[in-house]
Amino acid sequence: MSSLTRRRFLTTTTGAGLAGILATGIPPALGQQREISYLCWNNFAPLMDKKLAEIGQRFTKDTGIKLRIDHIAAAQQAAKYASEVQSQAGHDLVEMRMHFPWLYEGQLIDLGDLVADLEKKYGKVLSSAAETARVQGTWRAVPQYHAMFVATYREDLFKKASLKIPDTWEDLYTVGKELKKMGNPVGIPISQNYDSISTAGPVLWSFGGLEVDKDGKTVRINSPQTALMVEWYKKMFRDCMEPEVLSWDDASNNQAIQQGKAGWIHNPVSAYIVAKQMKLPTADTINHHRTPGGPAGRHETDVPRHIGIWKFSKNAEPAKEFIRYLLGKRETYDEFIMSADAFNLPVYDKLQDHPVLKTDPKYAGLRAEGVQYHCYGWPAPPSDKVQLITNSFIMPNMIAKAVTGTSTKDALAWAENEMKKVMAG
Amino acid sequence: MAIGSVGVATASRSSSLRTRVGELLDREQWLGPIFVSPALVLLLLLVAYPFCMALYFSVSNAFIGRPSHFIGIRNFVNLWQSDAFRQTFQNAFVFCGAAVGAKLVLGISLALLLDQQLWFKRLIRGAVLLPWVIPTALSTLGWWWMFNSLYSVVNWTGLTLGLMDPPGPNWLGQKYYAMTAVVVVNIWRGLPFFVITILAGLVAIPRELYEAAEADGAGSFARFWHVTLPLLKPVLAIVVLFSTIFTFSDFNIVFVLTHGGPINSTHLFATLARQVGLETGRIGEGAAISLYLFPVLMLVVWAQLRFVRKQAY
Repeated sequence: MSSLTRRRFLTTTTGAGLAGILATGIPPALGQQREISYLCWNNFAPLMDKKLAEIGQRFTKDTGIKLRIDHIAAAQQAAKYASEVQSQAGHDLVEMRMHFPWLYEGQLIDLGDLVADLEKKYGKVLSSAAETARVQGTWRAVPQYHAMFVATYREDLFKKASLKIPDTWEDLYTVGKELKKMGNPVGIPISQNYDSISTAGPVLWSFGGLEVDKDGKTVRINSPQTALMVEWYKKMFRDCMEPEVLSWDDASNNQAIQQGKAGWIHNPVSAYIVAKQMKLPTADTINHHRTPGGPAGRHETDVPRHIGIWKFSKNAEPAKEFIRYLLGKRETYDEFIMSADAFNLPVYDKLQDHPVLKTDPKYAGLRAEGVQYHCYGWPAPPSDKVQLITNSFIMPNMIAKAVTGTSTKDALAWAENEMKKVMAG
Repeated sequence: MAIGSVGVATASRSSSLRTRVGELLDREQWLGPIFVSPALVLLLLLVAYPFCMALYFSVSNAFIGRPSHFIGIRNFVNLWQSDAFRQTFQNAFVFCGAAVGAKLVLGISLALLLDQQLWFKRLIRGAVLLPWVIPTALSTLGWWWMFNSLYSVVNWTGLTLGLMDPPGPNWLGQKYYAMTAVVVVNIWRGLPFFVITILAGLVAIPRELYEAAEADGAGSFARFWHVTLPLLKPVLAIVVLFSTIFTFSDFNIVFVLTHGGPINSTHLFATLARQVGLETGRIGEGAAISLYLFPVLMLVVWAQLRFVRKQAY
């Protein structure tokens, strides 16, 4: 028997090992680093990002799975996600705003098992979050929290002029006239931004109108109910607001109330939280009340945010483990929610009376009994066509046309025509 | 000895290889392509490939992450039905015409001024470049504050000097004002490119021509009209060509200042393409918006380059 030299042994074993790795495409276990990456937005509540990083470090310590968290501005999310999907490479976990799971349906794994576990613990997912995260019956993302719009007003001005908290949009017109006379107009944007849609939606729904029917195909914007809503906007613009609302961006209404100009705005609670954090003089004077209603009930815009896992991820299991770690343990989830100071709230039914709402008496308005929450385009399912109607700002532009001189009839006909073209495209 | 002969053979093989490579590099037909090839590879990867992809997307029903199919020119036809797109088309020409025209006139004037003997000439020339070197998104944010309805320093100044009636123009909320605002920012941003390039052209004009014109009794306007302008024509053609392309494809200024509003009155092709292609996922339609003007711009480029060549020879 010939003796085996050291050189021959090394050559043979290295060759065989490499051949095995190349054939299977799987590196040896020793060399595998369990590492996942999460791409999420720059939270409007920055302390929540800090808390997420902290929880991520604990997750790595407890599970041995390395977690890299990258942040991106909300405005850049769509472009970044599109490039990850087109190149089939990028992060494992992605934060998904509102309807995103519908846009990327075919690219996201089914997370129904995780949602079922969370619903067992915390109760049913709120309807607005379920409508956007569950696509054609499959949970394409796990709902994590939501931020809803709420009526935000200057309590001191209301007291000074003995104004009644508006219970309906018509009541808001009555108090709005007084506020404008006092030099503190109502601040509802009518421009190409998402806050404009976030207010126009609830007003439209409360008057009984809708953009597209439940079937997701039939355009319903040209209706007597929408005409009522447009007429309401016209008189609000004329008697309760300043023309500057035509140029506002998403931050303008916040700034208007924080700087002491606006007397009433419709916005998430961030206007107050920022004023409080920056110790602005107006912080003490701002309060919230339940969203006004109309003949067809009380509706509000909701912005649920979910977490999804790309299908191209090679780390689906560790990624799921992170979602379980972040949302599945009550104490961790509570800690996460508390860090946002009521800007982001739990999306599960049994957690609606969350302790974060008791941290400040001004959060009482966020409990919002009897308010129905929806996302843009409701009641139509959030298909890409419905999203194009939203992203093209057809509704705010219809209102802008009407308040700047176009007749209500022509503005409605224009919007109907534009929406029909999107639907036909 | 065997080892010695192997060494000699290897040395002679490598020396003959070196000679062959040397001979190859001496031939122009080989050396030229070798030098050009890295740039060519970069161009193919970073320009040609994305452009071809965009061309394909524009004639398909591509949607992010879904299989796409060829649909011919349907995207281009459908776009023309959209009010927002037709408005964008009109905006692009108004924006580009106004901005490039103003930059040309102001650029020539400022370049003529900077060509004079001025105190702190170098400092002023450096300062003129500032808008060009500051990142556009950042400088536009500054302009956004100046036009902002709540904090507008423009309105504050106008009101204080009694030049405006309260509350002053709603710069970003009314369509003509909004278009004026985006054009003004584009002029501010693009002017240095005109000034510096035209200045380089001015410096290259021989002084003797001016002296001869002066000797013939030409005044300053006649010298400008009959000497400066004809000799600047090739430079102006190139500057206008580049600026037309940059201005048509502008994105940052409109995106930061108005987001295309009010009522789509400031949307440009790039901002609308982003809205449709990226925010909604309809990449096919988004690519079609981006490429709508491609044939027109190609014609402009062809005509201007032809003009430049005629001027040069």
